Amino acid sequence: MLSEVRFDGVHKIFGAETAVEDLNLTVNAGEFLVLVGPSGCGKTTTLRMLAGLERPSYGRILIGDKLVNNVSPRFRDVAMVFQSYALYPHMNVYDNLAFGMRARGASKDLVAQRVKETADVLGLGKLLKRRPSELSGGQRQRVALGRALIRQPQVFLMDEPLSNLDAGLRVQMRAELSRLHQRFRVTTVYVTHDQVEAMTMGDRIAVMNNGRLQQVDAPETLYDNPANVFVAGFIGSPRMNFVPGRLASSDGRTSVAFLGITTPLGTGSRLTAGASDGEVTVGIRPEDLMWRPAAGPDCTLTLSADVDVVEPMGHEAYVTALCAGETVTSRFPPRSGVRPQERVDLALNPARLHLFDAQSGITILQRPPAAGAETLRSVGEARTNDSAGGRSERHGQPEARRVPSRTEEIS
Amino acid sequence: MAVVGTLGPRLDRERFQWSSLLMLAPGLVLLVVLFLGPVLYAFYIGFTNLALVGSRSRDYSFTGLENVARMLGDYVFIKSSWLTILFVVGSAIVGQSVLGMLLAILLRNAVVPIRIVVGSIVIVAWVLPEITVALIWYAFSQAGGTLSILLGHGGTNFLVLVPMLIVSVANLWRNVAFSMLVFSAGLRNLPSEVLEAAEVEGASAWRRYRSVILPLLRPTIVTNLLLVTILNLSEFTLIYAMTQGGPGIETTTLPIYVYQEAFVFHQLGYGTAISLVLVLIGAFFSLLFVRASRRQV
Amino acid sequence: MSAVQARPLAGDKLIVVPYRKVSAAAMATNLVLILLGCFFLLPMLWMVFASIDSNPDWAIRIPSPTLANFADVLGRADALSSFRSSLILAGTTTVLTTLLALLSAYPLSRMHIPFKRPFMLVILFASGLPVSMLVVPVYQMYVYLGWLDSLYTTALFLAASSLPFAIWLMKNFIDAVPVELEHAAAIDGASTFRILREVVLPLTVPGTAVTAIYTFINAWGAFIIPFVLTYSPDNQPGPVEIYNFMGSHGLFKFGDLAVFSLLFSVPVIVLYLFMSRYFSGAFNFGGAVK
Ligand SMILES: Nc1ncnc2c1ncn2[C@@H]1O[C@H](COP(=O)(O)OP(=O)(O)OP(=O)(O)O)[C@@H](O)[C@H]1O
Ligand SMILES: [Mg+2]
Repeated sequence: MLSEVRFDGVHKIFGAETAVEDLNLTVNAGEFLVLVGPSGCGKTTTLRMLAGLERPSYGRILIGDKLVNNVSPRFRDVAMVFQSYALYPHMNVYDNLAFGMRARGASKDLVAQRVKETADVLGLGKLLKRRPSELSGGQRQRVALGRALIRQPQVFLMDEPLSNLDAGLRVQMRAELSRLHQRFRVTTVYVTHDQVEAMTMGDRIAVMNNGRLQQVDAPETLYDNPANVFVAGFIGSPRMNFVPGRLASSDGRTSVAFLGITTPLGTGSRLTAGASDGEVTVGIRPEDLMWRPAAGPDCTLTLSADVDVVEPMGHEAYVTALCAGETVTSRFPPRSGVRPQERVDLALNPARLHLFDAQSGITILQRPPAAGAETLRSVGEARTNDSAGGRSERHGQPEARRVPSRTEEIS
Repeated sequence: MAVVGTLGPRLDRERFQWSSLLMLAPGLVLLVVLFLGPVLYAFYIGFTNLALVGSRSRDYSFTGLENVARMLGDYVFIKSSWLTILFVVGSAIVGQSVLGMLLAILLRNAVVPIRIVVGSIVIVAWVLPEITVALIWYAFSQAGGTLSILLGHGGTNFLVLVPMLIVSVANLWRNVAFSMLVFSAGLRNLPSEVLEAAEVEGASAWRRYRSVILPLLRPTIVTNLLLVTILNLSEFTLIYAMTQGGPGIETTTLPIYVYQEAFVFHQLGYGTAISLVLVLIGAFFSLLFVRASRRQV
Repeated sequence: MSAVQARPLAGDKLIVVPYRKVSAAAMATNLVLILLGCFFLLPMLWMVFASIDSNPDWAIRIPSPTLANFADVLGRADALSSFRSSLILAGTTTVLTTLLALLSAYPLSRMHIPFKRPFMLVILFASGLPVSMLVVPVYQMYVYLGWLDSLYTTALFLAASSLPFAIWLMKNFIDAVPVELEHAAAIDGASTFRILREVVLPLTVPGTAVTAIYTFINAWGAFIIPFVLTYSPDNQPGPVEIYNFMGSHGLFKFGDLAVFSLLFSVPVIVLYLFMSRYFSGAFNFGGAVK
């Protein structure tokens, strides 16, 4: 029942536009993979290719061990939640939910039972007689979700299935989907714009940009060790600060200078082979840049900054400040009393720094490894090498199968 | 793109599905046999001396441009061509379009009961079978008919006095709903902010119409003119049922002349040749309008 | 009125002038419309009044009411047989045209067909060709095939001549059905046939109805084609029959003629009303896609 999904050098080209470029990605059997990326980066196109609604321009797609490039959607045994819902407007909610089971020849009783179960899970019990045009946006979205969940396919494809729900319902549905996944462990590819969904639901997160896969990793790994500037900036809110810096080594020790200070690299971190002295981009997450009075002892660096804007969020406050000519954001405790124009001291743990190549944006700092991380090389690097060599190397990497912690609880 | 070359042939080229041909086939067969066939056949017959009866009905031959030469010397044909153009320009292009536009604008601003009642009457006139329209306008314009009484000329048969005018008005009466509906839809699709802006600026109704609505409606107008011309060029039933082309040849437009040459005077070849002229006139007007719509872009 | 209330603070002049102006223009608008309405109504009114008048003539007059005209017409075999002929002719044409248009329009809307664009242009062009041009060659063909004077073969040609426009109309209706619905059904495991039957067809019902009614109205009123292709009295549809009666003064009374054309007009008016209802009715694609 559990099926692995594999994209093997998949491209999709629409006219002059490349929507997906050289996608190599394996979704492990039973895995919940979250696909994120800015609007128009190719997420929906990826799902549609997997569903069989779009044929790849190049490359191979496998479900289980079966090459499905030429298999029609009907026989792929996938269920999909469409970004646009695609509910049958002439059928009521019941018939919308039942359509797939009936098409597969399920008995009347079984259909009725499954529709009831699904409708209850999604809180649609009272709406079964209504047509889609008589539902609110959130209700429609739940029907779209129900139409997929009622089946037990090999693969679930969900295109922003919770985007239109109110905050409370979204939390509830998020938990429901996670619970269902733990129970049945159907391989799932889940597209979202919501960072919380991505971080909490995904066994792994795949980040795309401009049709290119940037990185696939467990949420924490992705957060701690972003492969490039794009991933670093895309994951995490508020966004990571990027400031220019300089790398210099003497006597076998490497230090980095930025924002008017110089510090040796933290212990445990090591530079990648490609790194050399010179210009770098330094990345600092706002929560790593603290208010001196609130900082712990390992924050050995101190920066002086002029506060520009204070945004109180309730449980914390975002402070935007000017530091050595650069604008940086940091996270303050809620009632620090700091005001604009004030001069404050910011504290930083050198071990929390991120370093990226100034030109290519690729990370040059290997921080203490998170277990089982599968890090893909990023766009810039692949372009500089010849593509064939780049690809074989990637395939040569042993596929690190991260055993999701949830499995242990189940079995 | 460099990558593309190394990846081999595209896998997502559109494929022809035989099932599509299966679905298209019945319609295609009918169209080829009873539409395309006759069209091509018409182009052949138009250059022969085929007759309905007599020896030429079997023993006909290709006569090249003989029919064309005959047309040029045929004063009925020449008059008929003028009548056709008069009919299309007067009844359709000017009459139907102007009255249709007027109705569309007036109905927009009318009170609801009047809008519904008048709009419905105009549309019913359009939906009525042509033969019914022919009959009621025949009755309307007869000596002793409603028209003559309204105008105080009890004994005048207007269908004899001014046949072309009556036929044109009857045709206009029947078809105006079409243009009215086209223009109503066009007006409805106009951005309302533009109209409101013009109103706020204090433009008079006429100015607003001239310099705001009309230019915006231009594509709609061109479409309307094109359709109306093509539909009216081949108008046969209404005129024929009212006058049979008479009195004399006063209302013998080209479609009627085609019918008479072919089935009354038994000149199938010559009649068909005339119908080809009708097609040429239609093509000419279409090109004219298509160019007009291009110019504005 | 509303202009006054909406601007309570404006000066007197500002309020009064637009109010008077608007009102005068509105009066003129409505008046012109009433006159135009009379122009459209008067000729029709003759038919209605004459049909229930015991002694009508060409002019409209207050009828001295009677149902004798109706009884007359309903008792005439030729009138009844022409209704039958019209029904067969228009019915056959409509069924054929609609079915073939639906079948052709689906692949033209959804599938990959080489030269689709030029094909659609030819279809559009064909629907503008004058019937006068086709009458002679089709007559010749029918003579040759021995198809003359049959309602069904006549309907076949009517279907062929109305098919181009019907295909074009139908394709536009199918284009408007979101293709994602078919995708969703395919993923749901439905076969092509099931998708057509349970998703596409129900959603094209309004379009199919409009196409069918449009075709029927045209075929019901078709004159020249049955006029040329049929000759025996039994096969004359309504329009040809009315034309014959019009030409035979005296044999047919005004009142009967009015009743006949009135009865003959009722079906298409009803169908049109039905169609416009259907068109603007509650059925839409609301809720199907975001
Ligand atoms: N059928 C199509 N024809 C042409 N271009 C397309 C087509 N489908 C998608 N594209 C293009 O491919 C790119 C990727 O689109 P896609 O829908 O996959 O984005 P997405 O990541 O799902 O975005 P969003 O988050 O906004 O849903 C876009 O630039 C889009 O314009
Ligand atoms: Mg998308």
